Amino acid sequence: MQNQDGAVADREKESAVSIPISEVDDWANFADDDIMQQQSAIHAEEAKKIPFVGDKEPLSMLAAEYESGSPILLEKIKVLDQQYAAIRRTRGDGNCFFRSFMFSYLEHILESQDRAEVDRIKGNVEECRKTLQSLGHTDFTFEDFFSLFLEQLECVLQGKEDSISQDELILRSRDQSISDYVVMFFRFVTSGEIRKRSEFFEPFILGLTNATVEQFCKSSVEPMGEESDHVHITALSDALGVPIRVVYLDRSSCDIGGVSVNHHDFLPTLGDKSNAKGGSTVPVKPFITLLYRPGHYDILYPK
Amino acid sequence: MQASRARLFKEYKEVQREKTADPDIQLVCDDSNIFKWTALIKGPSETPYEGGVFQLAFAVPEQYPLQPPQVRFLTKIFHPNVHFKTGEICLDILKNAWSPAWTLQSVCRAIIALMAHPEPDSPLNCDSGNLLRSGDMRGFQSMARMYTRLAAMPKKG
Repeated sequence: MQNQDGAVADREKESAVSIPISEVDDWANFADDDIMQQQSAIHAEEAKKIPFVGDKEPLSMLAAEYESGSPILLEKIKVLDQQYAAIRRTRGDGNCFFRSFMFSYLEHILESQDRAEVDRIKGNVEECRKTLQSLGHTDFTFEDFFSLFLEQLECVLQGKEDSISQDELILRSRDQSISDYVVMFFRFVTSGEIRKRSEFFEPFILGLTNATVEQFCKSSVEPMGEESDHVHITALSDALGVPIRVVYLDRSSCDIGGVSVNHHDFLPTLGDKSNAKGGSTVPVKPFITLLYRPGHYDILYPK
Repeated sequence: MQASRARLFKEYKEVQREKTADPDIQLVCDDSNIFKWTALIKGPSETPYEGGVFQLAFAVPEQYPLQPPQVRFLTKIFHPNVHFKTGEICLDILKNAWSPAWTLQSVCRAIIALMAHPEPDSPLNCDSGNLLRSGDMRGFQSMARMYTRLAAMPKKG
């Protein structure tokens, strides 16, 4: 009896599942739009699991993730634990580098109230605007993204009518209409910098893909959801004049014994040359630290 | 929603201002709905579409310009990357390669470029794609020209 009932129930389930499929049995009408709709439904589903920018978590949460994982990774996490206090995850939607950078930078300004830094970066943003104009972009295609970033920058400075708290910054970073616009601002800036210095970036781009600089920017920098690589990080850091530290958590190991965790500092090269010279004796300590695990960036907080 | 409206309004003003800049494209916004546009584009010269005028329909989503507009041919066209029945267009910038750096006007230019340079390896119209892939240029061109005459040119007398 039970079995029969079960079989009936199964069949009912099957037919219930098959209904949506039979609806699209006219595949001629199943167009790309449907695929894109399906894709955005999947994204929405994912969005419920992790926000664009997560909560600050103690670094022990990272170790928990690898509990039964590779011993090298666990060793490295122990090393990280000595230097870093916390991690803040970002959603793995291809925008994680830009999203991490956005939050980390704005949070730094919010905490440091470094007005000199705000004035400095505004100068760089102006330069980026000119770069895009000189590359033939019509103003209206990028100006909304620029002004939204500048607005956030103003808001994290305290003592004004529109100043925002840390909680509000988190909410905004999770609000697609703000967060995605700021990510897109960084994409414009990155693309502009790469094309402005195409001779410098060309060999790196050839190493990544077979594309020209122009094609690379059109297909791998400007579209949302395209993942970032060294080229993007270098270009963004140079364009905005913001140093970025990337800590690599992967399974590579050195054979000397003892595990070390590699990091790389992206230090802006352009801009004030004399400053850069002075910087060689007193190395700049990046205030943005990102944790890279193959394919993904999160934010790290030093102790 | 507000952002997309503001952006489309800027595009609208730009189109009005640059009306004569691109004689091959005539982009028109719906009188009552800024999210609906149509365009008339001229078939590029030295292609089987030369002499034809093709109508495109734009449906702009609320997340524009973070998401691409939906564009399709209203005029029947025989082209490997255009669905023969629905007019749907297979073009990367309308899908995953979209970015807000594009505008409705530059999308029209990209579609004209696609008419001149079909990509037979990702066909939406397999008959058309197969003619090109098998190297039957004459067959492809005569079919494409026939449909241009039938659908995209003013009827004579």
